[in-house]
Amino acid sequence: MSDRKIIICRCEEVTLDQLVDTAESYRCSSRELKLRTRAGMGQCAGRTCRALVDEIVQKYTNEPTPHDIPLGYQAPIRPITFSLMGEKDHD
Amino acid sequence: MIDVFIVGAGPAGLSAANVCAKNGLKVKVVDEFMKAGGRLLGQLHEEPDGTWWNGIEEAKKLNDEAQQLKVEVDCGVSVYNIKKQNKSWKVYTTKGKFQTKALLLATGAAETAIPIPGWTLPGVMSIGAAQVMTNVHRVKVGDRGVVVGINILSAAITRELQLAGIEVSSMYLPGKNIATGDHGNPILTMKSMLKVASLAPSKLIRIGSKLMKSESLHPLALKFYPKSGIKVWGMPVHLRKAVIEIVGEKKVEGVRVAKVDLNGEPIVSTEEFIPVDFVCIAGGLYPLVELAAITGCPFQYVSELGGHVPVHSEKMKTPLEGLYVAGNITGIESAKVAMKQGTVAGYSVVQDLSNKKEAFQVQLKQAIQTVEETRNQAVIQFHPDIRTGRKKVYMSFKDKGLMKKRDFYGT
Amino acid sequence: MTNSRIVHHPILGRLQERGKIHFTFDDNEYIGYEGETIAAAMLANGERVLRSHEESGNLRGFYCNIGHCMECRVTVGNQKTVRACLSLIEEGMIVNSGKKLPTPFKKGETL
Ligand SMILES: Cc1cc2nc3c(=O)[nH]c(=O)nc-3n(C[C@H](O)[C@H](O)[C@H](O)COP(=O)(O)OP(=O)(O)OC[C@H]3O[C@@H](n4cnc5c(N)ncnc54)[C@H](O)[C@@H]3O)c2cc1C
Repeated sequence: MSDRKIIICRCEEVTLDQLVDTAESYRCSSRELKLRTRAGMGQCAGRTCRALVDEIVQKYTNEPTPHDIPLGYQAPIRPITFSLMGEKDHD
Repeated sequence: MIDVFIVGAGPAGLSAANVCAKNGLKVKVVDEFMKAGGRLLGQLHEEPDGTWWNGIEEAKKLNDEAQQLKVEVDCGVSVYNIKKQNKSWKVYTTKGKFQTKALLLATGAAETAIPIPGWTLPGVMSIGAAQVMTNVHRVKVGDRGVVVGINILSAAITRELQLAGIEVSSMYLPGKNIATGDHGNPILTMKSMLKVASLAPSKLIRIGSKLMKSESLHPLALKFYPKSGIKVWGMPVHLRKAVIEIVGEKKVEGVRVAKVDLNGEPIVSTEEFIPVDFVCIAGGLYPLVELAAITGCPFQYVSELGGHVPVHSEKMKTPLEGLYVAGNITGIESAKVAMKQGTVAGYSVVQDLSNKKEAFQVQLKQAIQTVEETRNQAVIQFHPDIRTGRKKVYMSFKDKGLMKKRDFYGT
Repeated sequence: MTNSRIVHHPILGRLQERGKIHFTFDDNEYIGYEGETIAAAMLANGERVLRSHEESGNLRGFYCNIGHCMECRVTVGNQKTVRACLSLIEEGMIVNSGKKLPTPFKKGETL
């Protein structure tokens, strides 16, 4: 198997060559790379691959890692049941 | 209303809970793992004095104390959201919502991956997964395996696997690619292992100490690195061989290993196939900060601490009122340091919720000092420049603290 | 895999006696012990596969074992997206592996 076919994001099965090709052609941020490839947008919210995606972006943009988290997090950060999700939040 | 809600029943969370409870606060701790103790559970290291650091026992001590102090510790519960409400926090858990004056995030760390071809096959797991399966659940992860990624954590856990009677055939570097980064570099790997003298294989240190004195000799040390690896606890550690692919139909059946040059590049036609039924990937740890991120807390990227950390002070306070952090969420360090940070966070909460603020000044100061002392004596050091990293964050807190006030007064 | 439970340990001591628990995984019957997670009990039974990737059908087992990676998610009773590494087996529990979805239902349909 070629190295470039390695899966980086396990949830969405995004490969290294998809990420590298996208990063090369758009010179984009982690956030944009994520939106373009879906890397880090799966069930684990990037907990497994975010550092890898950041590393690839850094290689291609040559920008230092920003202090703001490149791939943000959104609630809910854990799987919740439909009943919890449906609950109205009177606050 | 709860006085203090703590996310994470690891060494940091439990230590903080116990300080708060001792000082009369109403404390609730939740953790999504089925047992209290966090990643203490499963840790098993031999200390320099020959005694064993048994994380399961340490966790039990902390939890027993919490039970005596009537701290409510609820396991198997996940926190999935947090919102600020006037002067309090609202915490959303899989077992109800809670209102609390103070909120302490002690969610610990997560593992960084090293992607190699075939790493999604069943039977490939993170090194931490193997630790928990072996020492906590007491189920063998396989009959024979390899460890990919050579660092302090993988060395410690590989030994734990051996103690449990699981055969680890070798430790290897990962095959080099853009995403495996420094993990695939023999020289950098050797350097970082030599820094952790207490755990590094003694033979490596012996070879190393002579050659490591001068930077220019580093490649030489690796040139003479034995082809069969250096035996540590009876198992070869290879700095000149890398796993380039994990192979299997429905699960792991073996790994393809190649010799690598001094830069970690595979050397053609040096490949061999090694049959194994499990593979552990050890890419290191980073602070698990997701809950801090959704509170809107400012962050700082500090490589010495393992990545992005919520900005905080030495007192474990964040710039957000009523939000505290402790343990590995603030940077990767050993469990002993996490405990002491928990104590600091506990006193900070107690002080902030007390009418007599000066009353806890002494305890707080002492607790901060204890963190420093524990750090200096730590057997397991994840990063040699941890102190530099800590300073950066405390500085940033000062800036952010001022910024917040300015915003507040509308200048 | 032989002797899959670690009964004797030189430092942690002997594994304590525990009650047996019966559960099913994809309609097959399994026996585990009290206090074991679904992932641990399955592994002890020699089963590493816990789900198929929803799109590709590629097989997956547990990866991080502490609730972060979501690779071990299974269905327990009617409850989907249950982490096998954090959930304890119970008597009579019905567990099903995550399955490959029919092609029209793609991303976003996995909740
Ligand atoms: C896999 C792994 C293995 C490690 N092995 C070692 C080792 O062998 N030796 C060593 O010195 N250090 C090890 N460490 C480092 C370890 O982080 C520290 O030793 C120490 O345990 C940190 O303590 P803590 O209290 O900050 O966090 P932890 O001990 O990690 O505790 C945090 C707790 O928070 C819980 N949690 C997180 N998010 C949520 C949520 N949203 N809802 C509910 N609960 C949540 C977790 O379940 C966990 O129990 C390891 C870390 C990891 C991740």
